[in-house]
Amino acid sequence: MITAGCDIGSLTSKAVVMKGNRLLGISIVRSRTRPAETAEKVLAEALAAAGIERSELSRCVGTGYGRENIPFVDEVHSEIVCHGKGARWLVPTANTVIDIGGQDCKAMRLDKDGNVVKFLANDKCAAGTGRFLEVMAKVLGVDVSELGRFSEHAKKPVVLASTCTVWAQADVIQYINSGETLDDIGAGINNAMAGRVATLANAVRIEREICMTGGVAKNTGVVRALEKLVGTRIVIPRKADPQLAGAIGAALLAQG
Amino acid sequence: MNDPRSASTLALFKDAALHVRNSALDDWKAAGKKVIGHVCSHVPEEIVTAAGMMPFRLRGIEISSTAVGDTYFGPFVCSCPKAILQSAGEGKLDFLDGAVMVQACDSMRRLDECWRKASVEDGARMPHFFHYFGVPHKVTDYSVQWFAEEIERFAKALSAHFSVEITDDAIRRAVALHNETRALLVRLEALRFRDDPPLSGSQSMSIILAGTAMPKEVYNPLLSALLDDLEASPGIGHNGKKRIVLAGSVLDDLALIEAIEHEGALVSADTVCFGARAYQGEVDSSENPYKTLARHYLNEQFCPRMFGYTQARFDLILKKFEDSGADGIVFQNIRFCDLHGSENGLFEKRLEKGGIPAMRVEREYGALADEGRVRMRIGAFLETIRKS
Repeated sequence: MITAGCDIGSLTSKAVVMKGNRLLGISIVRSRTRPAETAEKVLAEALAAAGIERSELSRCVGTGYGRENIPFVDEVHSEIVCHGKGARWLVPTANTVIDIGGQDCKAMRLDKDGNVVKFLANDKCAAGTGRFLEVMAKVLGVDVSELGRFSEHAKKPVVLASTCTVWAQADVIQYINSGETLDDIGAGINNAMAGRVATLANAVRIEREICMTGGVAKNTGVVRALEKLVGTRIVIPRKADPQLAGAIGAALLAQG
Repeated sequence: MNDPRSASTLALFKDAALHVRNSALDDWKAAGKKVIGHVCSHVPEEIVTAAGMMPFRLRGIEISSTAVGDTYFGPFVCSCPKAILQSAGEGKLDFLDGAVMVQACDSMRRLDECWRKASVEDGARMPHFFHYFGVPHKVTDYSVQWFAEEIERFAKALSAHFSVEITDDAIRRAVALHNETRALLVRLEALRFRDDPPLSGSQSMSIILAGTAMPKEVYNPLLSALLDDLEASPGIGHNGKKRIVLAGSVLDDLALIEAIEHEGALVSADTVCFGARAYQGEVDSSENPYKTLARHYLNEQFCPRMFGYTQARFDLILKKFEDSGADGIVFQNIRFCDLHGSENGLFEKRLEKGGIPAMRVEREYGALADEGRVRMRIGAFLETIRKS
């Protein structure tokens, strides 16, 4: 049975094509204004990568913020449930999942079958989300993917007084003006992000092992800082890009 | 539904639930009768009815911005009183003949002084009768006595301002009228508890909300006829849906219930302010009416502003959960609500320990602004519930 999962997020959209337990093709694209167009594009790319025709797909499940606007899916599921399933597939020992996406940040605790038993999501603002890092990277004049490496070279990370994206941005500008190094500022940004996420993770009652998914899992600075705060190792998926967890979960749910 | 009048009654109730003004209210005003607004379920509306006036629960709906509210309240405070002040600032409450302010909580208490200030500086018209009504936080012999005197002081103020007589007999008649409303809403609740109710949770809430914005003399017969019809009607396909109890703070926003029901669930019961809190218990009219009103309005409101009733509130939520055959509980509160925010967290933990699925949502007062976020969380919560 060949299935697809389509995760239409706020910043990026992801699609995977799976056959049983095997990942046949993937695609990650920047989300456009219209979710339907993005979904068509990302699925077409994943199918092309897998060398599969659309007609060969048995079922397709949609998830993410744009899930209800995907015209071709058989059913939709919330991204929390999909991320739980996908994370368990990526890291079979994971019992707690921290997912940081473009505009939200979620912590989930899973049961033995990978079902979500408890979850929390940020509900106040952009603090602790991928958008926070994007804004900070822009102020530093670097690509968001470069933020992680600053923590490796930092000598004395700065402290951001607020996790509010707007105030933190003002703090960062102040630090640039006062001559702090990019390494120290970047590490301070990663630490601030980790602090916000740790609060959420602790609130769902962490059970080892912790797996981190979403684009921010690629930021080693945030991951290392978070490990210190929660006091345990965090496993980053290696089987596939951690950003794909939601789409993988959707494809698995499509298998029934 | 079999009675053709039921559809128009439901439409009238929905109109009253969604808009500040409704036709029954306008007819009341056109007849030269008075309307007294108030801000809390602890206000004994029977006194207003006994004065020949219409009690009206104030809401901050249909506002175009939050400019006036933000100016006088500041940012880190519950958005419900802010929205009410905004409504006054936009002239939407100009029809009021009087308003009763209550220290329901700190945020609502501030509406008294903010409205006074805004009436001077921002043209937010303050009704000529503007009364501050105290409600104790504890239930003791002396607080019930004090509250009975406070209710009598309110009655005297109303009586003096509008030159009307409020007799004990008039209060007893008002108590009977309001008890009739409570009994009708209990019948509505019984319908909601059915396996396949003849109406949605959103429709039920619009019926309850309408009761806060229409004269009871008009509302009761309409509701009675509607219930007669609904009780004889079959379900409308709610069988097998996951059933949710909605608990927590003030909620007069049909959009939140619609968001839950859009995700495939049924809101089968609630304990929210504006919802089931309105019809808990019955007022006894056998002794001094001020004393019986005091006892009822201190004992039956189930708001965390009352000290020492945490267990009773928890038990009530559990009872609604069991009576309605629910599968989960959604606790909601307005941001910066310390009372409900902290209690919701405690209750959620206790329920989870007992194996009952529960989830908390913080939101802003008013039309569901952050719908995407709320729906994502509700959807995920429903997916985590195993249907029993």
